[in-house]
Amino acid sequence: MERRDFLKLGVLTGATVTLSSCEKPAQQLTRFVVEEDFVPGVASWKPSVCTLCGAGCGVMVRVSDGDAEVIRNRQHGIIRMGLAKKLEGNPEHPVNRGKLCARGQAGLQLTYHPDRLRAPLKRSGSRGSGEFSEITWQEAVGEVVSGLENLRARDRGDRIRFLTGTLRGQRHNLISRFMASLGAPAPLHYGPLDEPVLRQASLLSFGHARMPSFDLARSDYIISFGADFLGTWNSPVAQAIGYGEMRRGHPGSRGKFVQVEQRMSQTGANADEWVTCFPGSEGLLALGLAHIIAKEKLRPNSPETILSREVEEQLKSELYGSAETEEKTGVSATRVERLAREMAAPPAAVALIGGAPLAHTNGLFNAVAVYILNAVLGSPGLPGGMFFAPGLATTKEPQPSSSPEFVSELLSGKFENVEALFLHQANPVFATPAGWQVLDKLGRIPSIVSFSSFIDETTVLADLILPDHSPLESWLDDVPESGTSEAVLSLSAPAMRPLHETRAMPDVLLEIGNKLGGRVKQALPWGSFEEMLRASYSESLSAELSLPTGEQEKFWQKVVERGGWWDDGRQQSPPKPSSKFEVPAFTPPSFDGNQDEFPFYFQPYVSGAFLDGSVAHLPWLQELPDPLSTVMWGAWLEVNPRTADKLGIKPGDLLNVRSQHGRLEIPAVINPGIAFDVVAMPMGQGHENFGRYASRRGANAMKLLAPIAVAQVPTLAWAATRVHIEKIGKKTQLALASRVLREEELEVR
Amino acid sequence: MSTSSHHWGMAVDLDRCTGCGACVIACQAENNVPTVGEEEVKRGRVMHWIRIERYYEGEFPNPQIKFRPVLCQQCDNAPCEPVCPTYASYHTAEGLNGQVYNRCIGTRYCGNACPYSVRTFNFFNPRWDKPLHLQLNPDVSVRQVGVMEKCTFCVQRIKAAEIQAETEGRSLRDGEPAPACVASCPPRALVFGDLNDPNSEVSRLARSPRGGKLLEELGTRPKITYLQRGSWDGENR
Repeated sequence: MERRDFLKLGVLTGATVTLSSCEKPAQQLTRFVVEEDFVPGVASWKPSVCTLCGAGCGVMVRVSDGDAEVIRNRQHGIIRMGLAKKLEGNPEHPVNRGKLCARGQAGLQLTYHPDRLRAPLKRSGSRGSGEFSEITWQEAVGEVVSGLENLRARDRGDRIRFLTGTLRGQRHNLISRFMASLGAPAPLHYGPLDEPVLRQASLLSFGHARMPSFDLARSDYIISFGADFLGTWNSPVAQAIGYGEMRRGHPGSRGKFVQVEQRMSQTGANADEWVTCFPGSEGLLALGLAHIIAKEKLRPNSPETILSREVEEQLKSELYGSAETEEKTGVSATRVERLAREMAAPPAAVALIGGAPLAHTNGLFNAVAVYILNAVLGSPGLPGGMFFAPGLATTKEPQPSSSPEFVSELLSGKFENVEALFLHQANPVFATPAGWQVLDKLGRIPSIVSFSSFIDETTVLADLILPDHSPLESWLDDVPESGTSEAVLSLSAPAMRPLHETRAMPDVLLEIGNKLGGRVKQALPWGSFEEMLRASYSESLSAELSLPTGEQEKFWQKVVERGGWWDDGRQQSPPKPSSKFEVPAFTPPSFDGNQDEFPFYFQPYVSGAFLDGSVAHLPWLQELPDPLSTVMWGAWLEVNPRTADKLGIKPGDLLNVRSQHGRLEIPAVINPGIAFDVVAMPMGQGHENFGRYASRRGANAMKLLAPIAVAQVPTLAWAATRVHIEKIGKKTQLALASRVLREEELEVR
Repeated sequence: MSTSSHHWGMAVDLDRCTGCGACVIACQAENNVPTVGEEEVKRGRVMHWIRIERYYEGEFPNPQIKFRPVLCQQCDNAPCEPVCPTYASYHTAEGLNGQVYNRCIGTRYCGNACPYSVRTFNFFNPRWDKPLHLQLNPDVSVRQVGVMEKCTFCVQRIKAAEIQAETEGRSLRDGEPAPACVASCPPRALVFGDLNDPNSEVSRLARSPRGGKLLEELGTRPKITYLQRGSWDGENR
C-alpha cells in the first residue's frame, strides 16, 4: 500500500467512525454555553456549611472546572462548569477550625449521588409503590398552590403540617412564617439524634433548652457517661480538637479521661479508665460521686456559686453514699470514692452525658444528675469546664428541637385530621419503632409533598416530590448551638451551580407564597432566599454591631467570602443555675420485656458512619470500616465472648434477635468490650428504600424497639428494650477490614 | 540518600488519635481511591491507602482497645523498591516511595515485599456510578486494572505547595504541604513536615521519647514515627 492510499483509508475510516457515532442519538450531546466564570485547570476554594449533623461546621469546597452531563430544558447535553471536588474544614471557623470528620467529607457525594432526584416527580402508581413520573416545575408548584388554596377556602389551614429534620436559622424561620400565614401550626421536627432529654435537663438546670459546650482543651479530668463525644455526639469535631489538646497540648500535663458505659464505644476506647455500671444507673453514679465531693468538701469554693445550700445538704444524704451507690450501680464503693477524690483534685474537671444513659426511661434523671456533678465540680463557666455557646442576639435563641411535639401529636392521634403534610429532611418511617405505626399514620394523610433529594422510606409515600438542591448548590445558614465559645453564624453562597433541574426548597416556598398572595405573600416578602438571608442577617447584624449605613454592603461581602460571621471579642456569660436546679428523685429505669424471656439489654448506638441512617446512602461511608468491629457495608450484633461461648455463637453466625415488638436476622460480632447481659447494634442500616448503596443492607435496629418514651420528655427511650437471641444455624461472611479478623473468621468456618 | 532539600516525614501521636476515620475518607476523596463493594471487601480487596488498625487486649470488664492509623511508611530502605522489575516502585529525590503507574505491569512483588500491607492492587478497572465520577480530583490520575497503587503522601499537594512558595519567592513554611489525612485530622494526631528541618514539628515529634517506628527491626527505616499512648498513673503527666 502506498502512503497516499494509507492516508486516504485513514481519513475514510475516521469519517466512518465519526458518522456511525452520530447515528446513536445518545451520543449526540449538545454542548451548552458556559454559565459562569472560571480559570480552566485552576481550582478555587469556596466556603460552605456542613449540614449532615447538628454541629454546623464550616466547610471549604475545592472547586475546579469539568464537563458534566446535564439535562437543561429537557435537552440532554454537556456543560463545562465549576465542580466541587473536595471538602475540608474552614480554617477560620470557630467550631471546627479547619478540621472535618469522615461524614462531613463524604457530604460531597450528596451532590453527585447517582440516585439523586433530578426533577419534580408526581406519584403515578399506588401510594408507596415508588412509581413516579416527571413533571415540570410549573406543574409541580401549580399543584401545591391549588391544593393549599383549596384548604384555605375550606378554612382548613390548621390541618397542614410541616415536618423537618433538625433545622435552624432562616430555613426554620421561613417555614415558620409560611405555616403561620396559612393558619397552620409551627413546623414539627423529627430526628432521633435531637437530644430533647439533655435539652430539657439544660432547661431545668440552667434555664434554657440548649446543648452544652465543653472546654475540653483545658480540662484536667473528663468523665463521660455514655457520650460518644469523639465520634458522633453533639459537636464531635470541636470536641475531638479539644481532646487532642487535653492529651498532648500542654507539655508536662496530660488530663485523665474516664468513660462510663456498658458497651465500649469509639470514644470509650480512648479512655484511661473504663467503668461499667448497670444500665440506667448512670445518674446515681454521678450523684454518688457528687455526694463524696460535697461531703468531704473536696471543692470548697464551687457549690456556693452554683448550687443552693439545700441542694448541697440533700447531696450529703446517705441515699447517695458509696455503699448505696455500689448496690444500685454495681460500681464498687472503693472505686466510687477513689474516682470522686481523683476528679476533685485537679483544677478543672468536667462531666458529660450522652447516648444510652439519656435514652433510658429515666434519662432526664441521669442528665440532671450529671449537671449536678458538674455544679459540684464547679465546672460551669470555668476554664476546662462546661458552658453554653453565646449564640447571636439577632437570631435569638437557636430553636430548640421539638421532636417531642411531633411524637406527642403522633401518639395522641392528632395526625388523623391532617390533610396535607410537607416533608423536609425527615425520615420518620425509618427512624421510629414499629409500635408507633408511623407508616400507617402518615400513609393516611390525603396529600404529602416532599422536598427530599432522595427517595427514602417516608418520601416514597409522597404524592409530589419537589427535589431540593444539594447543600453545595444552596445558600446555607446555621447558628451552631454548641462547640464554640464565640458568637457564630455560619453562612455561605452556593459553591457550585445546580447539576440537575432541582430548586432550593426555600425558593420554592417563596414562589408558592407569591402565587398564593394575600397574607402568605405579606409574610414572605422576599424574591429569593438569598434576599431573605441578606435582609435578616446583614441588617440585623450591622445593627447589632452598629455599622455605619455605607458599610453594610461591604460587611455582607465579607461574611459571604469568609463563610460566616464570628466574634471572638465576646465572652459567653457563665451559665447561671435556674431556681429549679435541685436533686431529682431517683426513678429506676424500666425495660420492656421480662428478664427470663428476654435476658439481654438491647443497646443500639449511633453509627460513626451513618449516624441515625440519614447518610447511609453514601458509598464512601458504607465502605468506611467501623472503628471497633471493622465491618463495612453491613450491620451486626455485638455479643460478649463469654456469652457467645455459652450460647455457642461464633463470629458471623446469623442470629435471630427478638423483642416483644419485632425480630431481626443479623450476624454476630464477638466483642470483648461489652457487658455479659448487653447486646449492641449500630443504627442506620436496614433501609428498605434509600438508593442503591443502602437499600436492603443489614437490619434496622429501630424496628426491635419498644414504643416507650422517656419519663417527662415524650421522646423515644431507645435503650429500654430487652431482647432474646438465638442462633438460626446459618452463617454469613462479614465484610471485615481487619485481615486478622477475616482470617480468624475463615478459620472458624 | 536524598539530594533534595526536603525529606518528608510524618508523626502519628497515638495519644491524640481517636480512631474516628476522618483520615480514611479524606484520603479516598483526595486520591480518587475507588470503593469496591461488599463482595470484594470480603475477598480482602479494599483499596484504602490508609486504614485504622484496632487491637483488643483483655476482656470485659477491663477491655482495652488501641487504634493505629497505618499508611505507607515511606521507608528510606524500602523493601518494595528493589523487587520491582520495571522500576515502577522507586525512591524520589524527596525521599518518597514513588509509584509510576504506567510502568507497573502488576507483578505485585512490591505488595508481597511490603511488611505493612499498605499497597493495594487494582483487580478491576475502577468504576464510579455516574455522575459520581464528577467528584474525581483532576490532580490525581485514576489507576487502571492490573496496577499497584499506594499512599503518595499526597505528592500533588507537596508539589503544589512547592510551586506556590517558589512563585512567591520564599521557602516552605512548616506544616505547609499537608496531605489530606493530616489536614482533616480533628485531634491533630497526624503531623506532616520536613525531617531535614530539625525545628519542624514533625522532627521534634520524631525525637520524642514516646516515639517508635513500625516493625523497625526489619531495617526498613520508615519515615513515620508513632508516639505511644500515655497512661494515667495517679498524676497528670
